[in-house]
Amino acid sequence: MSFVPGLGIARGMALTLRRFFEPKATIRYPEQPADVGVRFRGRLQLLYDEWGTLKCETCFQCAQACPIECIDMGGLDTKGRYHVHWGPPETYGERREESALRRSGRTVPDRAYEHFEPIDVTAVDEILERHDHDPKQMLRILEDVQAAYGYVPVAALKRISFATGAWYAMLYGTASYYRHLRLDPPARAETRRAFDEHRPSEGAYLSGLGAALGGGDGARPAGSAPSADARPS
Amino acid sequence: MPDLLATPNDWPRILLARAGKPGASIAGPARPPYDPGDLEAATAAGAWAGFRRVVRDLGPTGTIATIAASGLRGRGGGGFPTGEKWRTAAQQPVDRRFVVANGYEADPAAAADRTLMTIDPHAVVEGLAIAAFAVGASEAVIAVRIEATEVIAALEAAVLAAERGGLLGVDVLGSGHDVIVTIRPVGGAYMLGEETVLLKALEGKRGQPEQRPPYPAVRGLFGAPTVVNNVQTLAAVPWIVVNGAPAFAAIGSKASPGTVLVHVRGPRGEGIAEIPLGTPLRAVAALAGGVGDGRSRKALLVGGPSGGLLPDSVADTAYEFEALEAVGGHLGSRSIVEVDDRACIVDLGRLLTRFCADEACGKSIPCRIGTRRIAEIAERAVAGTPRANDDGLLADLAHDVVESGLCDHERLATLPMTTGMRYFREELDAHLLRGTCPAGVCHPIALPTPPPAH
Ligand SMILES: Cc1cc2nc3c(=O)[nH]c(=O)nc-3n(C[C@H](O)[C@H](O)[C@H](O)COP(=O)(O)O)c2cc1C
Ligand code: SF4
Ligand code: FES
Repeated sequence: MSFVPGLGIARGMALTLRRFFEPKATIRYPEQPADVGVRFRGRLQLLYDEWGTLKCETCFQCAQACPIECIDMGGLDTKGRYHVHWGPPETYGERREESALRRSGRTVPDRAYEHFEPIDVTAVDEILERHDHDPKQMLRILEDVQAAYGYVPVAALKRISFATGAWYAMLYGTASYYRHLRLDPPARAETRRAFDEHRPSEGAYLSGLGAALGGGDGARPAGSAPSADARPS
Repeated sequence: MPDLLATPNDWPRILLARAGKPGASIAGPARPPYDPGDLEAATAAGAWAGFRRVVRDLGPTGTIATIAASGLRGRGGGGFPTGEKWRTAAQQPVDRRFVVANGYEADPAAAADRTLMTIDPHAVVEGLAIAAFAVGASEAVIAVRIEATEVIAALEAAVLAAERGGLLGVDVLGSGHDVIVTIRPVGGAYMLGEETVLLKALEGKRGQPEQRPPYPAVRGLFGAPTVVNNVQTLAAVPWIVVNGAPAFAAIGSKASPGTVLVHVRGPRGEGIAEIPLGTPLRAVAALAGGVGDGRSRKALLVGGPSGGLLPDSVADTAYEFEALEAVGGHLGSRSIVEVDDRACIVDLGRLLTRFCADEACGKSIPCRIGTRRIAEIAERAVAGTPRANDDGLLADLAHDVVESGLCDHERLATLPMTTGMRYFREELDAHLLRGTCPAGVCHPIALPTPPPAH
């Protein structure tokens, strides 16, 4: 190709000019929403912070919002009480067990990947009947289930989700949010309680306030940690 | 339940009007002056006169106009004009509306609302019925703490008695309006006190707030316009209807008329008192007996766990919405805690911030992460292991959380530490810059580790 001085620049400018008169693709988001398919939900990506830990705090928001419940999650919930196991968790857990763990001859130590324990669901069905299978009565349904079984079994959540049409992730979110609902049988709840007591809560707040008010002679006993609730982050 | 405190006898009584004779002291244990299940006794004490007047004479628009004219503002903390809230809900072009009495009382260290519901449950139920009638809601809910069994029993007795007397239920007093009141015990989280969270709980969902606007008065419970009012707000309503809006507007301060029940705590005692809004903080704190001999007041915690820590220099501030906000406090749970010079402000800030962080619902990032990072800064300061940039980080973070918070909880949760920065700079600097605690409360003060001996 013969050398024509300025040809490269001319070509470049030609492209620039052509683009200049083409319709613009940039939009003023969020004032002007992007025109994407109705089912488009963006790309899911979990980010890491500067210390290399996952930024996800297991807050349930995405799983509860996901319309097709495709988000599977494991870890402690935001209140630090229960191992989160939902999304299509059991399917996942089982598959993992079969495909990877069992074939490699290893056991599955994490309870989150175990299949939930079956229960006799007649009591759940009666409770649902009494509340008209109405998802709006969910808190009462869950309280009644706890009264009947002593705790809210995961199997009951599955049943309620199936019978009322309420999303399992929403149900799990509700059941694990309220302090008076337990997802563990009472025996295991003992250990849970020890765990709960370690957490700062109303009790820790009240005793701390009492100490600040002087609580008797005032000064905090020497040697008491800043407080038991100052956890390492 | 804490005792009622002695207040000057010439202070007006609205919420506790039935607790004793005017001009006489009502100090002592909080006891109902009548049997809540006995409608005759309650009526003799003055209950339900306001509701009859509303149904017979005033009508819905007249009632809303009266409440608006009285200047009544929400006692739940925000101070939103009640008349305006009712009018908004009443104007929505729908058939189904709700009224919710917020008796949850989220602050574990406050018991003013519970005391009110124990002493005068009929005033709360009557106020709720008036609100329901005025906005055209046929369903009304009283949300109470599941642990407050005494309160639930008193309210249930009051509602049942009123239903039997034809004051609640279908076609009340022959007006053609229905007012069905249900009592819903809820529990399990601090956040349930926030109105949108409370509505979520009543819907059977996880308790996380919604973006406002739309306010519940436009779209609330099950998507219907919902008036959420604190029980103290509602209990003042019958008094206003009976005594007239001008009488109410004459009490308290000009911008915030009326009285409010507060829970006052100090090193020498605690209790509940009814105070006119606009009373100086100093006078309110003095009701609990002040600080001990030879001690001085260090700070007043005004507003509950997310309250401001205010020094003695602003103790003359009037106890009312705007004045408190200007100095960094807020009405909040209507609790006032006085601490003396033995307390460490940073340690107190840590306690409050940690509680707020732990109760944060997790829905938005300022709530889920911001509050925790603030609590961690406070914890590092108290443990004597501050990081070099903690001071700047705290100021930045608090600003960002306030700017980007989804609900008021995380915004207010910054107050203990921001008021600490504002008024107790020296004490905070001692912790953050020098690793010492002037009050001698926090420890251990980190010393450089000595080199290992050979
Ligand atoms: C974190 C948080 C906790 C709250 N707790 C209570 C409460 O315990 N009781 C209450 O009446 N209002 C509480 N509120 C205020 C309510 O959101 C709401 O403003 C109030 O119930 C409205 O009633 P009012 O207009 O009579 O004030 C809380 C708000 C927040 C942000
Ligand atoms: S659980 Fe919460 S923090 Fe984790 S990815 Fe989902 S929305 Fe984000
Ligand atoms: S507490 Fe979570 S958004 Fe406010």
